[in-house]
Amino acid sequence: MTSGTATPIADVAEHVSVHLLGIRHHGPGSARSVVAALVDLAPDVVLIELPAEAGEQAVISLIADVEMVAPVALLGYAADHPEQAVFYPFAAFSPEWQAMRFALAHDIPLRMIDLSLAQTLAARSLDHDPDESPATGPPVDPIAELAAAAGDDDPERWWDDVVEHRSSAEGFGAINEAMTAVRAHAPPATGIEERREATMREGIRAARRDGFHRIVVVCGAWHVPALADQRVAELATADRALLKGRPKLKVTLTWVPWTHRRLMARTGGGGGYGAGVSSPGWYAHVFATRADHRHWFARVARLLRERDYLVSPEHLVSATRLAEALAALRGRPRPGLAEVTDAAAAVLSEGRVGPLDLIHDRLVVGDDLGRVPNHAPMVPLARDLATEQRRVRLKPRAEVRTLELDLRLPLGRSRSQLLHRLWIIGVAWGQPEDGRGSSGSFRESWRLTWEPEMSVRLIEMSAYGTTVERAAQARLLDRAGSTNVLADLVSCAELALLAHLPDSLSPLLDRISGHAAQHVDVGGLLDVLGPLARIRRYGDVRGTDAAGLAELFDGVVDRACVGLTAACRSLDDDMAAAMADRLTATQGALALVDHPARIGAWQRALIEMATGSSMNGVLVGRAVRLLADADAIDVDEVAGALSRALSYGTPARDGAAFVDGFLAGAGTVLIHDAGLLGLIDGWLATLPVDTFDDVVALLRRTFAAFEAGERRHLGELVSGRGSGRPPAPFGWDLDERRVADGLATMAELLGIRMEASV
Amino acid sequence: MTDILRPRAEDQYAAELAALATGDSSPRPPNWRLSPRGVVSYLTGGTLSDGTVIVPKYIGHRRLIEIAVATLATDRALLLLGVPGTAKTWVSEHLAAAISGDSTLMIQGTAGTPEEAVRYGWNYARLLAEGPSPDALVPGPIMRAMTSGSLARVEELTRMPSDVQDALITVLSEKTLPIPELGSEQRAVRGFNVIATANDRDRGVNEMSSALRRRFNTVVLPLPATVEEEIEIVTRRVAELGAAIEMPPARQPAEEIRRVVTIFRELRAGVTTDGRVKLKVPSATLSSAEAISVVVSATALAVHFGDGGLAVADIAAGITGAVVKDPVHDAIAWREYLETVVRDRAGWGGLYQACRELG
Repeated sequence: MTSGTATPIADVAEHVSVHLLGIRHHGPGSARSVVAALVDLAPDVVLIELPAEAGEQAVISLIADVEMVAPVALLGYAADHPEQAVFYPFAAFSPEWQAMRFALAHDIPLRMIDLSLAQTLAARSLDHDPDESPATGPPVDPIAELAAAAGDDDPERWWDDVVEHRSSAEGFGAINEAMTAVRAHAPPATGIEERREATMREGIRAARRDGFHRIVVVCGAWHVPALADQRVAELATADRALLKGRPKLKVTLTWVPWTHRRLMARTGGGGGYGAGVSSPGWYAHVFATRADHRHWFARVARLLRERDYLVSPEHLVSATRLAEALAALRGRPRPGLAEVTDAAAAVLSEGRVGPLDLIHDRLVVGDDLGRVPNHAPMVPLARDLATEQRRVRLKPRAEVRTLELDLRLPLGRSRSQLLHRLWIIGVAWGQPEDGRGSSGSFRESWRLTWEPEMSVRLIEMSAYGTTVERAAQARLLDRAGSTNVLADLVSCAELALLAHLPDSLSPLLDRISGHAAQHVDVGGLLDVLGPLARIRRYGDVRGTDAAGLAELFDGVVDRACVGLTAACRSLDDDMAAAMADRLTATQGALALVDHPARIGAWQRALIEMATGSSMNGVLVGRAVRLLADADAIDVDEVAGALSRALSYGTPARDGAAFVDGFLAGAGTVLIHDAGLLGLIDGWLATLPVDTFDDVVALLRRTFAAFEAGERRHLGELVSGRGSGRPPAPFGWDLDERRVADGLATMAELLGIRMEASV
Repeated sequence: MTDILRPRAEDQYAAELAALATGDSSPRPPNWRLSPRGVVSYLTGGTLSDGTVIVPKYIGHRRLIEIAVATLATDRALLLLGVPGTAKTWVSEHLAAAISGDSTLMIQGTAGTPEEAVRYGWNYARLLAEGPSPDALVPGPIMRAMTSGSLARVEELTRMPSDVQDALITVLSEKTLPIPELGSEQRAVRGFNVIATANDRDRGVNEMSSALRRRFNTVVLPLPATVEEEIEIVTRRVAELGAAIEMPPARQPAEEIRRVVTIFRELRAGVTTDGRVKLKVPSATLSSAEAISVVVSATALAVHFGDGGLAVADIAAGITGAVVKDPVHDAIAWREYLETVVRDRAGWGGLYQACRELG
């Protein structure tokens, strides 16, 4: 007997047959074939390529629980180091999942024959390089490569052609033969791959020893040639030697809910099932309907109609016919994902990208969420939280209490970081009080209360990671990935700092810089400069990637300066006032990090605004003020600008707006500069009456914002009763005696009595 | 024959079409000269079993050609969408040549295309002498295609006024063209279909009515996939255009062409080639056709007024003009690009200076 013969290979002497079902992980066609083969073969034991611990612990029986709904993931982790973990995700269309359900439903013993997770994790933690010998591991998706070699870009359709239309034994035999041919040219497995296959062979030997007669092995097709009878017999001694005396860890297993979308991600090397699935939603459809494209188009139509795209029945007929014609043209037995996608693009989306993205996101990928029974073992995330809680000496209690943290102390910092991390993963144990983002202060106040739902939340969040730190990091990046709002991204970055997740900062900054580039709204850019400047200063203390941050900050500053003048044109009063405040804040942010643009591009932009046209007076005034504050222009220039703004050629309303912007809510500058005060005073005095009426409301608002002391002081200065200062040459020099004469005459004409003083 | 500036596709590639037809045993839709698979081979190129080499007519995604051919085989009209320079017309001409052996049944859409061009006109002398009669009727390209069961082409469909576009609706849905003047109609012979091309990014186009749009399957022809491919296309077209107007080529154009193509691709994609910097996308189309025109005009300046080498200043002026179509938004995008990308790129200093001087 050679290793190339098709299974089943019957051992006549002992009446034992071993059937190797080489499957494609997460292949819906494989799942269906496996179920059909199990029905045909009626095995008395089923061996599965899963770590041995899964067979020893009770978690596997949970698969049969009615509350267990795929997609879910089997999570194995080192009991003492939960951050060392491997996820084995299963969807309803995963062959292993179907095989295990079948065995449990028919009371057939299940055995897990892959290398124990204890060894995998131990090997990983010992070796500095987790992939000891990456070159000799199995290819990411050997079946897909076979399909591609056969000229089909859809491995599932190829599988169906090869396997589905034959009897199960013949079909798997064909796959096994093909894989034997492939492996004949591949280098032999080494390192952990070699040990895995040795363990699987040992598992088969054990099943034989234990007297089973009809043994079915469900494993990745790649491993089949290594598990063929002949190899099992030949290598018995070598395998035992190979597996001796390997270090071990204590491993715990549990289930966590998974989603179709997360099936797309690659899961841990070494133990997990390698590659992610790029089209989980489509696979679920293939499994449920045997890839019926008409059914698929009906779902597409429903989705598009929900989003108000017009899809008529005629469209569906055309899409179906086009998909079929494309399959015929490409020599394929029936439409696959490529054909239905092409047909949807040509017929349903009419050249637009939106519907295609929608179809891909909602149907081809999809968001189906799994569920695990309540009595599944505690997840490592919850364990880790318990450890953390002991570390920072905070007990979860249901009653509400307030916690004051002093961030200057290590304990305060640790507590704050933990609460922030939990906040990120949506476990709102602590509610921040007094508003967030006050990173300048060293005090934080939290309101603590532990609610039972938070335990459930921890289970849900387990998919993100096995420790609070990792889960928070993954969740934060996930959140950042799903938003396109610049301000949200920046607040994510701020959270990363507050929660002390330095590793997530650099990808966040990358995303921010990407978005800043496409951000059209300069106001939005200016808004993020403040937080970014804080991150930069606060981040420096924590040794974050300063270069990346500086580059990002420079980029935003550059872009903001380039677009500033254009963005400030033609704003109405409210928008201009908001923009003026942004200008001040930006100058502050630049000063905070002592940025070179403060005396470069930023100043040039301000000068352009100060001298530009069709600019709201508030902004011109504020630009002049900021330039004056930065000593970019001297007093004479300020006076010149003020004088131009208040001269006859400028509409009085603009002049008043200029004053408003220039004073920026405080009158100190006027108290200390009599020249400026004189200019304003003189302008006011020369205004014609109707114009004065026009601007008085605006000016009143401007001056009302000053502090009472400032107002009084200014009033004294203007009325010439300044405290010790010489009265400035304000306005017209009034000759009080002459004024009194005029007033007396008027009073007489009007028939009223004059008060003693003016 | 040599006097013909540009021969028709079915004449130029007659040998290829004949060889394909001979070796083509797959079933053919009614009135098709080749099977759908044969048509795809004709457009995407290859070598036949008898050794005939088929020149690739369309370089790019085979997938798109398959969708186009499958569309025509399922009796749906085909709309080829794309910015200028994506070979829409070229593809449509070759599809018609391969399927019907006749690429001449064509309507060129313009703002002034009348409805008669789409339907039929009259020989007015006969109309006056005899009154409406089949002999007085002058069939348009669509009507002739319906009679003979071949493909009709409508170029630049969206440049036609919307009411003229809509004259196609009856033809496409009922496969018939009513002639109320004669109380009759022209029914389409099997094999008739329409290929339209349109450009949805340019200005001055008339949006298609959704009733008409529904009757087309849409294939979007993308811009060249790689920078090398696009440089190749630009270089070749520049040389061809130069030869046609007998203009000597500029010295050493390769580097400048690479630069123009790189700038256009980066601005179009909104990200630099190395993927490190994201960019604002200007409203201008920035297709390969624009890149060609920038290089051609710079060449003309260099040859006639300069020293025969492409001058950075000429290129800069051309690029700025092509990029900045909207004085506010595009100008910002362009200045940002200059400041964040061009300024720091090694060897691009001259271009940066030249562009800055232009404002």
